Amino acid sequence: MMNEELAYWLALAHVPNIKIKTKNEIIVRLFERNKTIIDFFQLDTSIWEKDFELNKTELELFIDAKKELPNYAFMVEDLLEQGYNILPITSSDYSPTLKKNLGRTYAPPVIYTKGNLQIMKEKSIAILGSQKVNNNSLQFADNVVKNASANHKIVVSGVANRIDKQVLDSVLKYKEQSIIVLPQGIATFQTGFKKHYKQIISGDVLVISTFYPKSTWSAQLAMQSNAIIYGLASEIYVADSNEEDGTWSKVMDNLRKGKTIYVRESNPKEKNANNILISKGGKAVDIFGKLNNTAGKEDDESQKTLFD
Amino acid sequence: MNRREAEKKLKTIFGFDHFYDEQWNTIDLLFQGKKVLLIEKTGFGKSLCFQFPATQFDGLTIIFSPLIALMRDQVKGLNEKGINAKYINSEQTPAENSQTIQDAIDGKLKILYIAPERQENQEWIKATRMMNLSMIVIDEAHTISVWGHDFRPAFRRIINLVKLLPQDLPVLATTATATKRVQEDIEKQISDDIQTIRGELIRDNFELYVIKVNYEDDKLLWLAENLSAIEGNGIIYTGTRANTEIYSRWLEFIGAKTTEYNAGLDANSRKEIENGLMNNEWKAVISTNALGMGIDKSDIRFIVHTQIPASPIHYYQEIGRAGRDGKPSKLILFYNSSKDENGIEEDYKLPKSFIDGGRPSLKNYIKVIEALKQEQLGERQIIKATNLKQTQVKVIRADLIEQGIVREVIYGRSKKYEYQFNAPELNSTSFDELRNLKLKELDSMLEYINISSSRMKFLCDYLGDDSHTEYKNCDNTTLDKLKINPKNETKEKLLEFRESYLPELSVESKYSKLVDGIASSYYGVSSVKNALYRSKHEDGGDFPDFLLRLTLKAFRKKYGQEQFDLIIYVPPTESGDLVKNFAEKLSQVLKIPISHNLIKTGVSKPQRVLKNGYLKKDNVAKKFTYSQPKEILGKSVVLFDDIFDSGATIIEIGSALSKFKVAKISPLVIARTVGGDI
Ligand SMILES: Nc1ncnc2c1ncn2[C@@H]1O[C@H](COP(=O)(O)OP(=O)(O)OP(=O)(O)O)[C@@H](O)[C@H]1O
Ligand SMILES: [Mg+2]
Repeated sequence: MMNEELAYWLALAHVPNIKIKTKNEIIVRLFERNKTIIDFFQLDTSIWEKDFELNKTELELFIDAKKELPNYAFMVEDLLEQGYNILPITSSDYSPTLKKNLGRTYAPPVIYTKGNLQIMKEKSIAILGSQKVNNNSLQFADNVVKNASANHKIVVSGVANRIDKQVLDSVLKYKEQSIIVLPQGIATFQTGFKKHYKQIISGDVLVISTFYPKSTWSAQLAMQSNAIIYGLASEIYVADSNEEDGTWSKVMDNLRKGKTIYVRESNPKEKNANNILISKGGKAVDIFGKLNNTAGKEDDESQKTLFD
Repeated sequence: MNRREAEKKLKTIFGFDHFYDEQWNTIDLLFQGKKVLLIEKTGFGKSLCFQFPATQFDGLTIIFSPLIALMRDQVKGLNEKGINAKYINSEQTPAENSQTIQDAIDGKLKILYIAPERQENQEWIKATRMMNLSMIVIDEAHTISVWGHDFRPAFRRIINLVKLLPQDLPVLATTATATKRVQEDIEKQISDDIQTIRGELIRDNFELYVIKVNYEDDKLLWLAENLSAIEGNGIIYTGTRANTEIYSRWLEFIGAKTTEYNAGLDANSRKEIENGLMNNEWKAVISTNALGMGIDKSDIRFIVHTQIPASPIHYYQEIGRAGRDGKPSKLILFYNSSKDENGIEEDYKLPKSFIDGGRPSLKNYIKVIEALKQEQLGERQIIKATNLKQTQVKVIRADLIEQGIVREVIYGRSKKYEYQFNAPELNSTSFDELRNLKLKELDSMLEYINISSSRMKFLCDYLGDDSHTEYKNCDNTTLDKLKINPKNETKEKLLEFRESYLPELSVESKYSKLVDGIASSYYGVSSVKNALYRSKHEDGGDFPDFLLRLTLKAFRKKYGQEQFDLIIYVPPTESGDLVKNFAEKLSQVLKIPISHNLIKTGVSKPQRVLKNGYLKKDNVAKKFTYSQPKEILGKSVVLFDDIFDSGATIIEIGSALSKFKVAKISPLVIARTVGGDI
């Protein structure tokens, strides 16, 4: 992929009010026809309509997007100059895990990153928790990061809540590598870049955002970035979850899809719904992140895949 | 639009009947959304090639131009024709620039001139997301090539931008001075499908002369005797800022109306001088090469160089300002070919020193890299962390960015430099290559001095224009050589001038009781420099008496019969009592009492070891006080020091003493440096 395509990629990725799926399908069609994104924007609208099955409203939106190409060029230049990477979904650097986990329907057409791209190619874990975590959960997070480090898996983390803070502290403590997923545009994370400067320049941290680079934090983006965290992780650990928080619905969603999710078995005094998740199919692990013997017969095998 | 239709519009908007063929060819390509490199001689009319299409496009045309003076000029011209054009640059207030940006967003402008450095400005970048853009122009495009003269690192970003632009957006790059190598470099940088249009470079109304001299003074003497006889008005280029001052004072001394211009002047003074130049207010403007490129004044009748430029390309570019009306114009180049004890020609040294000093040592690059590995830093912080000169830090920073080792990242309102993960090793071979190229170019300049064939042909050949025309009009072909033969009275005048001309110290400000002071000499004058150095650093004893004579003369000239209550002097850091002893002698001769009560409150380093203004200022900040404040209450004092460099010490003392209600502080020093030549 050449840089000269990037303005076109941004124009596609940031067309408002069009589903990711529609955008990804355009990309697939171009790929099948051996055409580039530049070709796409130079096609006649009649072909957009016929070959790419865009409806009237969508056509209008793409016509507007095309007009903004020079403007996107300025933006791309500025981002590249500041050392950000812009990765279209067709790029070989784009996270294969993300592509596989989120698929055509949800995988973002463009991601913005800063740091060591190689980290996206490694096996990864993510640790989820609610805002009101207790000490057990924090201890659990620390242990899981430690294990991941020992097993050469990298850690995917958000930046928003209490558990993320613990995870990032532990990452630093165990000199672990990590992907930090932003609930905002990549160009608005200054304090974070300052904090993680040394980790970034030594190749231990990759920061990712999937949003318009100048977007500031919002609850909606935070929700969306959670989906990216799930998408980037090959394994998911739940430190704690309550029936009413965001983690819960996501976890349930993933369990229904048949994804393996490790849940810390909590003791009866704790106020969380971890054990309900286990009863719904989550795999019970202890505070060290090890599979609990009570959890069932395939333990031994799982233990191997988990910590091999 | 065909040519006929276009020329109709040309007539109504610009008042010209026709396009030159190459102008139309260029414009036609731009209308087709093509990318074009246009190489035409100075004064050809390249501007029209973007100005005309800009008036025909829907949206905005952005012109990246390295020349502020030219922006102002062209915008004025366009506005007079009723075309909505503005510029954004450092000469305007932030509010004015913001207004211009808003106008561009609102679609009120057709043409916007902007300096390439602005591409680093966030307000601008943000705004570019909202403008309706029709065309991008890079004027003076040789500045985008490191192989070109006057390379501007900021253009690197413009090039990156151009590569990212949608393919059917027209782009025009223009220059008068691109060798084949530079042409290829520009083509490669901008796009694979760029089309180049190249015209003939000969300027046949130019009368080219070289005058070889054996003494620096010969230049001053020749100008004194001949300047008034040259028709019309012109520019005299000197090699250094200090010389703009000296030449201008000398020529005024003999009665010629001149003024000096250099990049050290503030924006207003520069603007005034540029306007004055346009209106023939002076016989000559004495300038460094900061003045000129791109200025479109039709009747500059002569351009004199008192030092050789760095290459024949520089020379062609700099003399390109002359005779744009096609009438005969004189181009005179001085060269001092006397040799020093090492057999090196006098006038070879200055351009050579620019090449040698052009790049900081590798050690300093490493210093910056190591500092940035520790934390991200702003420019000022780098300067402080490394004790390097600001100019050096700027060069190093640009190189490190160019090589992808460091990036400039926006942190809110400030910029920080960050070391990059996976950064490549510093590659210094490109530095050496560039240095070798520059040495070769300088040699070519010497060749120009020494050839015996047509000078214009030499320049055209050098610039890759191989068309065959008849070349004449130089002192090697049809014109007589200019000779040096100064009269005795002119020599005496020069002596008289030397005696009476003294460098000023501009330190006056409304925050202190300091007034502008005087130095007895420039530090660069070798006898003075050597004497000071010997006393200060080689245990040579007190400053010699001839310095006392010079200083007393300076004092009398500047302060005349003024009454003073006290002489005080700057307390030493390392040179012991030299300054004190000298001040005592001054006190005896001038019969002004001396006081030793100006003292230091803390340890400071010698200013000399600090390489930049920030550190110098920090170093002396709050380091001085007066032990007997009553003594100076309401008094008028002379403040003496040996060398005046950044001025930080004098200014600091000025503000410390002003707190004690001193009435007036008049600075006096032995020598003043120019641009930190200490
Ligand atoms: N077609 C034309 N007919 C008559 N005059 C013209 C035409 N085109 C340009 N000119 C005049 O030629 C002069 C020089 O033009 P311009 O400043 O564009 O030169 P340039 O090629 O940019 O030179 P430089 O390299 O020195 O910047 C201007 O005064 C302009 O008005
Ligand atoms: Mg021009």
